[in-house]
Amino acid sequence: MNKILIIEDDPDMVVALRLPLEANGYQVFTASSGEEGLQKVVEIEPDLIILDVMMETTTAGFQVSLQLRSPSPDSPYAAYRHIPILILTAIHTTTSLRFGPDEAYLPVNDFLDKPVDPDTLLTKVRALMGEAQS
Amino acid sequence: MDSKSILERLAATAARSLPAEGAAVLLPATAEGCPVVGAVYGVAADDVKVLADWANLGLQPFVVEESSASALPPGFVTAMAALLGSASCPLGALQVYGAPPRQFGPPDAERLQALAELGTVALELARRTAEMEQLEATKSQFIHVATHELRSPVAVAQSLVRMVLKGYAGPLSDQHREIFGRIAGRLDFLENLVNDLLALAATRSPALAEETGPVAVNASLGRVALLLMPQAEEKGITLTHIACCEEMVVRATEDGLDRIFVNLVNNAIKYTPSGGRVTISLRPLDDHVQVQIADTGIGIPAEALPHLFQEFYRAPNARSSGIVGTGLGLVTVKELVEQYGGRIEVESTEGVGTVFTVTFPRTQILN
Repeated sequence: MNKILIIEDDPDMVVALRLPLEANGYQVFTASSGEEGLQKVVEIEPDLIILDVMMETTTAGFQVSLQLRSPSPDSPYAAYRHIPILILTAIHTTTSLRFGPDEAYLPVNDFLDKPVDPDTLLTKVRALMGEAQS
Repeated sequence: MDSKSILERLAATAARSLPAEGAAVLLPATAEGCPVVGAVYGVAADDVKVLADWANLGLQPFVVEESSASALPPGFVTAMAALLGSASCPLGALQVYGAPPRQFGPPDAERLQALAELGTVALELARRTAEMEQLEATKSQFIHVATHELRSPVAVAQSLVRMVLKGYAGPLSDQHREIFGRIAGRLDFLENLVNDLLALAATRSPALAEETGPVAVNASLGRVALLLMPQAEEKGITLTHIACCEEMVVRATEDGLDRIFVNLVNNAIKYTPSGGRVTISLRPLDDHVQVQIADTGIGIPAEALPHLFQEFYRAPNARSSGIVGTGLGLVTVKELVEQYGGRIEVESTEGVGTVFTVTFPRTQILN
């Protein structure tokens, strides 16, 4: 109950996330694109997915979460819909965009702002893993 | 006024002043092909055909002979075409159409020629406006790209430094801790600088501007006080928000108004030593609303006051205080205040405190 898949295209950010997670006994897997990420979800069946909102394209993160949570009965990801998703965001102060989980638009479980604070990361990871268990 | 509406205005004015039942502005072809319809009045764009070769249109408008009636839109029996620009530099054509019993004659041709001369000026204006719109679009695109490209590496670097400082890359010597601490400080400053620069650029970009509407000043100050209360408490400063009686509404954007007050209150807290006071208050003043942010901080020396709202300016006592600042907060505040029709004033005594007063015209609530 401790496999975490990080879907993140910035290798430096991967290092920053890996350090505290591995230090706390989690098994960390990584994917450097949305496409690779979806493949690894099926391959690894992680207990938690950490996903960057913006990767090779502005909507990459949204696309991955929408595909994973697709309500269609024929979806190849139907078996993985339950896996909690933690999304990494950068708040843009030049727009009035206010992020919030949204069934139709951004079906994720929680958000983590960049720059990442290790304590906040661990608290959220523990909470999301704990929820999944019950 | 955008380029398209300038052309529409030209067509409408031509029709109304001649008078004529219809009018159209034709522009040169893009790349290859035929001239295009820039604007129409009283006719369908699809029915507009080129009435005369622009190379042949001289200083006299061309009046269409009855025999060429097939070139006219249905329902129209007479037409004229005048050149916009000049023979050496044709910019387009102004065509007008008349329905029965109208028949254009020499006086109409003279009037059309005069309109075409004014129309040439309008066309040049439309062209330059279109260029500026393109420039603005390019600028806003740049701001959006810069936002991500500048912020992203800074945020990643900050994340890595935090991991190291919290011991996740192994135990730290005192020297390591000190140096990484300094790196973290410079990165935090860089983050603030990038944010402030982008906020200022966005303030100056009309293309990014949100529609202004009625915004409640009382509510904005409430939000700001709530946001900055923890920061004030942490520093041992008493932050007081004196709420006012009636709802006061101004024409602005919620984000813009919040940003003005966040910058001013944040400054007040930053430059006031522990144990001091920051007070936010507002009151009606005739048909205006006046907001005051007062502090018991380090104050602003008299010689700094004329430069206070300049980009990157920081007063000498602020610079030597060790307090970090980008020098962009107040210029952004002033530009936003002025965008909303208001004004900002400051009074200060070094070593005693400062009062910023922002005054806005009130607007009607539209519910």
